[in-house]
Amino acid sequence: MTILRIKDLKCQYHTETGAINAVDGISFGIEKGEILGIVGESGSGKTTIALSVMGLLPGNAKMSGEIRYNDTEISGLPEHEKDAIRWKDISIVFQNSLEVLNPVMKVGMQVCEPMVSHNGLSTREATQRCSELFHMVGLDPVWMDAYPHQLSGGMRQRVLLAMALSCEPKVLILDEVTSSLDAVARKEIRELLLNLQMRHGYSMIMISHDITFISSIASRMIVLYAGRVVETGAMKEVVTSPRHPYTRGLINSTPDIFIYKDMWGIAGDSPSGDDYAGCPFSSRCTQSIDICRKISPELTRCNDGREIACHRGGIVTLLTASNLMFRYDLLDGNSLQAVGGVDLDVMEGEVLAIVGQTGSGKSTLAHILAGIVHPDTGEVSFLNGKVHGGHNGHAFGGIQIVFQDPFSSVSSRFTVLDAVREPLDINNIGDQEERLNMSKHALELVRLPFSDAFLATYCSELSGGQRQRVALARAMVMKPKLLIADEITSALDVSTAANVLRLLKGLQNTNGFTMIYISHALHLTLKIADRIAVMKSGKIVELGNTHDVMLTPQNEYTKKLVDSRIGLSNGTRQEQTI
Amino acid sequence: MTVALHPRGLLRMLSRMGNILSKFSIEGKVGTIGLLVFILMAIFAPLFAIHPPAKITGDSLEPPGADHLLGTDELGMDIWSQICYGARMSLVIGLAVACIAGFGGGALGILAGYRGGSVDQALMRVIDVTMALPSFPLLIVISAFLGPSILGIIIILVLFSWAKPARIARSQTLSVKSQAYITAARHFGGKPFYILKRHIFPEILPILIVSLIGISSYAIIAEAGLAFLGLGDPTSKSWGMMLNYAVHFSAIYFTPYWLWWLVPPLLALIILLLCLAFISRDLERVLDPKLRDRRGEG
Repeated sequence: MTILRIKDLKCQYHTETGAINAVDGISFGIEKGEILGIVGESGSGKTTIALSVMGLLPGNAKMSGEIRYNDTEISGLPEHEKDAIRWKDISIVFQNSLEVLNPVMKVGMQVCEPMVSHNGLSTREATQRCSELFHMVGLDPVWMDAYPHQLSGGMRQRVLLAMALSCEPKVLILDEVTSSLDAVARKEIRELLLNLQMRHGYSMIMISHDITFISSIASRMIVLYAGRVVETGAMKEVVTSPRHPYTRGLINSTPDIFIYKDMWGIAGDSPSGDDYAGCPFSSRCTQSIDICRKISPELTRCNDGREIACHRGGIVTLLTASNLMFRYDLLDGNSLQAVGGVDLDVMEGEVLAIVGQTGSGKSTLAHILAGIVHPDTGEVSFLNGKVHGGHNGHAFGGIQIVFQDPFSSVSSRFTVLDAVREPLDINNIGDQEERLNMSKHALELVRLPFSDAFLATYCSELSGGQRQRVALARAMVMKPKLLIADEITSALDVSTAANVLRLLKGLQNTNGFTMIYISHALHLTLKIADRIAVMKSGKIVELGNTHDVMLTPQNEYTKKLVDSRIGLSNGTRQEQTI
Repeated sequence: MTVALHPRGLLRMLSRMGNILSKFSIEGKVGTIGLLVFILMAIFAPLFAIHPPAKITGDSLEPPGADHLLGTDELGMDIWSQICYGARMSLVIGLAVACIAGFGGGALGILAGYRGGSVDQALMRVIDVTMALPSFPLLIVISAFLGPSILGIIIILVLFSWAKPARIARSQTLSVKSQAYITAARHFGGKPFYILKRHIFPEILPILIVSLIGISSYAIIAEAGLAFLGLGDPTSKSWGMMLNYAVHFSAIYFTPYWLWWLVPPLLALIILLLCLAFISRDLERVLDPKLRDRRGEG
């Protein structure tokens, strides 16, 4: 049963400089006893939603739309009727800050106040109830006589929670309750909230930018961006396989969901005010097309209950490979099945790592995907065109590949400039001047100098790391949509490899291309990959979210790979030998 | 096209040549200077030689003196001017054979290596056969059959010397072809012509040049040998022809004539070949791709 339903909620703040759309047509409902999470960056309109449900919007706000509580439209009610619903039916826990509590009033009194005014309790009854509430939220009732500034942040948060629970509400809204808490206090509050919710069975709306906290507690999630819903769905599915590019970016920016991965923010800034048309995320989106900049997408329901607002139906599939087979003929007349029936989808904007031991066919697979090697059977399609027979490396926005060996990936006879501008020369892109500028820009991207002296240096005079960067710059100069990096760090020493890897991921993050990263080092790819495909003897034996593959490997071979990590020795063995 | 003819490219080539020269050992430098002297001698033969080579300008068998620097032969022709003009003959034949056999064979080898398949197989068998043939005896038979002419000699020498550069070029092409940067260039859309011109040919050129020098020494010896055996053009002035005439002069060793008639062409031949050998040895050392690559890695 839907206890609270919000339909087409719009909210505008009028300021001296103009109107700001804080919430722009949001609809959702919450079931009885459900925990709903609303996630978004700051400024996405989360708090405005909470305030409009509570009827506590400031005077300069203009609201439209429907808010129904148990079939009663509450947004249009007169103030005293709203007041009756507030606290008793719907209550809110505000973000913990000193201003929320009255600094000159004892906290116990402040908790008692709504009980006296809403439930008609006497002061004594209220004090009695207050001490129960303090017990409930894990505070010693002696603190009832304290002033807010005497309490710690976590304690104040508990006081606010006690206050919100004082009238036994049916719906509890929690607005950024954890943002000012330390990790330990945050965890305690989480346990507390879950326990209380289980005991009392109220519905909860958790509003936060803290996707980790929300994902640990809510069962359903709404992702907000610039006052609009971009994705909704069951929590686990949204987190493990986000469909909207923004949701994915948000998850990638969060350090403790996938603990192995490095975090990377979403490139660009969210739009402010009304200076955009079309999809609000289009300026930061890696897959935006013309329509995204003109028309704003509607939230549409997919067949599995997820809702996504995206013209392209969420994250699109960039490359599809089906039933790829490739066999090498060996000299002794035998043949080697290097790739034996690989099916693979690569999503727009993701980093897919293909991991396997030497000889598992991963490089051959990379070459097939790039269109360099023709598979015996099966086909690869890229942006709905066939890879083989096509010219994917010949123009901007195609597929580029960077090879393993830095010393053979660029010719020693070439100067840096010759090497970087080679693809432009071959394809006659731009005039001499433009080619020079594009090459310089590409070198700048890979953090190499682009002075005339460096441009005239022969590649044979560069170090391995530098040459690999030149090879990378040369791929970047073609502005690829898909970059295949074939073991590009395996020939480099650890420090150079770390630098190149971070550079690569940084480029991927800011330029928004898709990357297939081929490596034999599982633990290295964990740092950058969104998904991992484990390859053995020409077959993909396991494919999944990086986190799942690492923590709960399904396949025996994957388990072996995961266990192949050599840990730090604790020195006991040495002592024994002495 | 523009790359090869670009003034910057030319300048770069010259500076590279200077670079290579600076890495030569003393023998190599001496060889280079010697070769330059011979080349100048050949080009400006009319200036160096006081007398025309094929005219009787003095008495028969005059000893070296002020008028005839190295004396005269039996017909009274000036030996020094014959040496000068003979240098022309040796160098022209050496250069022509080296260029035609070296670049022609090289081109065939590159083509075979790049195309692979049946073209490659066919060429390899032809190369095997050519290299297995005993070249000098055949040379003698064929040139005796064709009669004495410079063009004939060049053609025959080319036929016997193209196989080695072709084989070298083929194997080098095979190894260069598998490099990742060729794959990359092809992935960027480079056509075969582009790849051959921009990547493979420049890569193979140094090795080809080394073998070119080897071929030219071989051609010079072969020409001199044929002429010495009397299979050369009797009217041409070549060192081999001079030797032929000198040794056929009855009882030359009982006279002092061999000192100025037989020794100068022999010395000229030996010195030229030594110069070429020195250069070849040093070039091989400097241009060796393995040595170069190791430098790149360091």
